[in-house]
Amino acid sequence: MKKNWLLLFTIITALLLSACGGASSKSSSDASEGKTKIPDTFTYASLTDAVGLSPIMTNDSASANVTEHVYETLFKRNVDNEIEPLLAESYENPDENTWIIKLKKGIKFHDGTDFNADAVKYTFDKLRDPKTAAPRASLMAPVDTITVVDDYTVEIKTKYPYGPFLAALSHSNAAIVSPTADQKQDLNKEPVGTGPFKFVSWTPGDQVVLEANPDYRDGAPALKKVVFKVVPEVSTAISMLQAGEVQFIDKVPAEQLSRVQGLKNVNFEKIEGTPEYFLTVNHSKPEFQDPEFKQAIASAIDRDAFVKKLNGLGIRSDSIIGPKVFGYKESADKAGTPYDVDKAKELVKKNGYDKKTLKLLTANRGNYVLMAEVVQAQLAEAGFKVEIETMEWAAFLETARAGKYDLTFLSWSNVTGDGSELLYPNFHSDNVGSSNMTQLSNPELDKLIDQSRTTTDQKAREEYLNQANELMLKENTAVIMYHDVVTAALDNKYTGLELYPNGKWDLSKVTGK
Amino acid sequence: MVAMIVRRLFQLLFLLFGISFLVFSSMYLAPGDPASMIGGPTATESDLNAIRDNLGLNDSFLTQYGHYLASVVQGDLGFSYQTRQPVSEAIAVRFPNTLKLAIASMVIAIIIGIFAGLISALKHNSWLDVSSTTFALAGISIPNFWLGALLILVFSVNLQWLPVAGLSDPWFTVEGLKQMVLPAITLGTGSAAMIARMVRSSMLEVVRADYVRTARAKGVKERNVIWIHTLKNAMIPVITVIGLNFGALLGGTIITEKVFAINGVGRLMIDAIAARDFPMVQGSVLLVATLFVLVNLVVDIVYTYVDPRIKFQ
Repeated sequence: MKKNWLLLFTIITALLLSACGGASSKSSSDASEGKTKIPDTFTYASLTDAVGLSPIMTNDSASANVTEHVYETLFKRNVDNEIEPLLAESYENPDENTWIIKLKKGIKFHDGTDFNADAVKYTFDKLRDPKTAAPRASLMAPVDTITVVDDYTVEIKTKYPYGPFLAALSHSNAAIVSPTADQKQDLNKEPVGTGPFKFVSWTPGDQVVLEANPDYRDGAPALKKVVFKVVPEVSTAISMLQAGEVQFIDKVPAEQLSRVQGLKNVNFEKIEGTPEYFLTVNHSKPEFQDPEFKQAIASAIDRDAFVKKLNGLGIRSDSIIGPKVFGYKESADKAGTPYDVDKAKELVKKNGYDKKTLKLLTANRGNYVLMAEVVQAQLAEAGFKVEIETMEWAAFLETARAGKYDLTFLSWSNVTGDGSELLYPNFHSDNVGSSNMTQLSNPELDKLIDQSRTTTDQKAREEYLNQANELMLKENTAVIMYHDVVTAALDNKYTGLELYPNGKWDLSKVTGK
Repeated sequence: MVAMIVRRLFQLLFLLFGISFLVFSSMYLAPGDPASMIGGPTATESDLNAIRDNLGLNDSFLTQYGHYLASVVQGDLGFSYQTRQPVSEAIAVRFPNTLKLAIASMVIAIIIGIFAGLISALKHNSWLDVSSTTFALAGISIPNFWLGALLILVFSVNLQWLPVAGLSDPWFTVEGLKQMVLPAITLGTGSAAMIARMVRSSMLEVVRADYVRTARAKGVKERNVIWIHTLKNAMIPVITVIGLNFGALLGGTIITEKVFAINGVGRLMIDAIAARDFPMVQGSVLLVATLFVLVNLVVDIVYTYVDPRIKFQ
């Protein structure tokens, strides 16, 4: 009897093992065949799924990664962060409120209809129509009228001179959609644009598939099929990259950096980026308007020590307008209050800042928690009492918007790469209660931000932005923790990836090596 | 029996009504604004208001809940705030993945669990028993995210036997089966361990029962004593554990789905909660609750087959 049991156990174990073994040896040969046979399918691992595939109806980076390959904007920022025409041919400003934009001719949408001035008017009118409830309707807020002059000329009049207008037009949410397709189908599910890739399919939660647009004006992309695969766990995405199931990942977190850099089949790339992370006090509370309080906070924080923890994925600069953003001047790099813990201690003691416990609000994602822990320890060293309050993203946004905190960390991705588009939403009193979570209301700063927005003279704009930046640094309005470094890891059988400072990338020129 | 089933299904309606109210009110009261999750940090107040108007979020709680209930009664689970996709469509895409993963894990769990439990009980206090109980303890203690990551590293990255992630190919294809192996083992281990422990303790109890001694005394073959007289009677608590585990697996397994990039109900639910996508949360919770009740109903019916003494009034 005993022997029978043992025999049965052995047989079942052997069967299970052989089943696994049999399946697996085949899998390895399939995989190796796949690599050599179809280098056309190129897979990108996305941590989140697209919300939708219409540029008008979305405002998240996962959706934008797809839509930017299907649709195109009138202008775009190049890798050097300069604005250049894309669907536009040229533009002129007969006066400060008028933008006459000439469009490129002979471009067709993927549904075969013509790209022309009507399409531009249709897209922008839909984007700004309150009935659409577009998340980025604000891109068109300064626009007064849009007129079709002829088939390939549009005249846009703004309500006031609007300096960052070209930056707004280069935003992925201002991409031009096919009016015919938009009236016929839901572009959020079946997108139709003029871009280098055409939509094939979308399985929500799983993957979006695009194919090369054979009629693209610069020639069809070399990648025949691109898959945006949802892989929510970053370590799984790296394993897939290592195993050759995925060819490209971006936004490599600092703690996984050494693993990715150690992969033999992968080229790791990093460039200075536009996103930034900063610490702010709650400016709506009277006790935090005391200049010495903000000085004490800024003096207590050793930003160099924090940036070192990021393994090279952070840039140290005091400047609130980052090195890759329009309006930045090098002189601002060291214009902030330097780290001086003794000075901080002195101010804390003198003003009795150690009597009250400060609530440091932080979101529970990315580097936020690390920042909170480091800053809590550094502030404690200077004598402050700090309690961390961690929240998930949705609750965090609501709490920060409502100003229910003492200190908090905020971030901004600076997709348009323009300083006005950073300062206006985050620090202008117009936006307190919504995007201005710092709760700052400073008439002097408001005026400089307004000036930077309401002139189309780019030199003057740069000057206003610099003045605003210097004012904020002088007043310790925010303490920049770091400016981001944008990363990408590409299977080394491929080359030609274009990576932009705002974290976006373009696959249209990627080819096999 | 039929009356019992009808009664239980009737109770299910009340239960679902209660759950929908609880979920709706907790999502309504929880901090976080669906509009700001759609608009993102860049949205201005006027953008947010337009979104809120569009979704009917400016209405009172009762109006919102009333609208929701009215459409659910008509079989319409509503639209996702985020993707504007019908909730039922989103669930229909994910549920097959959750179902096949749950079935595969349960098959693994039942085979390993019953086998290990039986050996453990029959070879009580032997080295086989010790190793089996050690396995059970380890199976319950090892967290899924760790086991999943470990299996990926060993079998997918180093040995390259199995794919790292995904579950999109049909289960009856070689590729589909291969995709299922690692997540099913990851999920099945915990359930296997629970089943093994239950089989062991239940068997040890039944093996000492008088009727088993009588059966042996009558000269019934040992094999029949084990399989017919003992195991079948020891199965009642085991079936309960299997039912509960299967119900939980059908509710989606967030961590395993995340580690293996599986497009299942668990991930749908957690993403919807994070995005404050109320209709999607409601829809998936109602689905999970219904499945849980149905699985338990099936378990109750199975009881009557395993033990004919059990009768439903």
